[in-house]
Amino acid sequence: MMRSFVFAFLIFSAVQAFGQEDDLFDLFDDVEEVQLTYATFKGTQLINSATNETPGEGVLQYVIAHRFGSFNDDYLYNFFGLDNAQIRMQLDYGMTDKLNVGIGRSSFLKVADGFIKYKLLQQQTGAKNVPVSLTLNSSINYRNARYTDGVEHYTSDRISYLHQAIIARKWNRKLSTLVSPSVVHFNLVPTAQDPNTTAHLTLGGRYKITNRMALTGEGTIMSNREFSSGERYTTPFALGVDIETGGHVFQLHISNTRAMNGPFWMARNPYSASNGGLFLGFNISRVFTVKE
Amino acid sequence: MKKLFTLLALTLGLSLSAQQYMTRQGSLTFDAGSPLEDIVATSNSATAVYDAQDGKLGVQVLMTSFEFKRALMQEHFNENYAESEVYPKAVFKGKFEAGRAIGALTIHGVTKDVDVPAKLDLSKETAHLVAEFAVTIEEYGIAIPSAVANKIDKHAKILVDCKLVAK
Repeated sequence: MMRSFVFAFLIFSAVQAFGQEDDLFDLFDDVEEVQLTYATFKGTQLINSATNETPGEGVLQYVIAHRFGSFNDDYLYNFFGLDNAQIRMQLDYGMTDKLNVGIGRSSFLKVADGFIKYKLLQQQTGAKNVPVSLTLNSSINYRNARYTDGVEHYTSDRISYLHQAIIARKWNRKLSTLVSPSVVHFNLVPTAQDPNTTAHLTLGGRYKITNRMALTGEGTIMSNREFSSGERYTTPFALGVDIETGGHVFQLHISNTRAMNGPFWMARNPYSASNGGLFLGFNISRVFTVKE
Repeated sequence: MKKLFTLLALTLGLSLSAQQYMTRQGSLTFDAGSPLEDIVATSNSATAVYDAQDGKLGVQVLMTSFEFKRALMQEHFNENYAESEVYPKAVFKGKFEAGRAIGALTIHGVTKDVDVPAKLDLSKETAHLVAEFAVTIEEYGIAIPSAVANKIDKHAKILVDCKLVAK
């Protein structure tokens, strides 16, 4: 009795096992694939701040950025600020899909810079679930502009650094956000009482309105805004629109900053929107696939 | 008697399952290139299933598994054309019958009946599926902007090459 019961059970379970395979196409569903999140942001920069993105391996990127004159500076006489634009040019290369290195030169304080960016973690779902992307970014900035304080300066006085972690998440196909804790270090500060190193936190996001167009925004808070020399720095923010056409990304924006190097727009921004310190600007990036 | 029955059940089970073939490393190439632009991508992680008993054939591929030579092109493919986040997979479900694959092909959430030539080399252990056909991109609801219309072949060639093994 017991035996036949066991056999019946065995056969039944065998039949059941076939039953599960009954529809061949069910096999499609038990695949555990890793789905890497791509294109969290259109560009390697959101507006001023860096995004988690890097160009792919073997891709050379050229970025040209302009920040026009402010709304409170004889606006019509300066042709809507176009007459006194600040520019920055950047050339960077994707060494691997994760590692990106580049150089830049800005007319604002004649700053030359070099940066290195590394994608440490990439957001993914499926077999492995990683909720956010994490990219590290560091830059070294050298001020070429002459000092007007009449004091002789060391070369090291001209150097400043930015180190940041960019934590980004693509919530859905339209909305992506980033949070970037950063530290900025200036070798030279007004007096010994002032901190050389300040902490900053950038919050930013983009919302796609079409497949090729998105609205962007960012703001950065900081740990120290008052310096003993009397300078009081403001909170940098920007609003913009991204337009993508093939190999180009156009980013048009309005911000309260003119500098385009991390330490300067983040930690040394003197302009205030409340008294007209608003600037139109754009970034244009073009990529070239150098190595296929 | 009981033993015989068990044996029968077992062999029946074995013979049944031996009819099914499968792979998760199928190769699928997509070519929508034109003389102006080289647009070719390959996925080497397509899933293909075949049942020799009833001729059922299925192929499925994850859109994000297509690898392009250019990273930006791959991004545009997923972001602007295939919309891979909304429609992550392309699926063919149908039958293999007398040198043809007949069934329903779903790309970009649009399902169309297809009947295309295919070749299936069957042995006890393996089944080698090869097929080459064209799909009209716009039929699957994928819009090609006029600015790039002359760079993209409206009839993309699909090359399927899957080596299935008996389950």
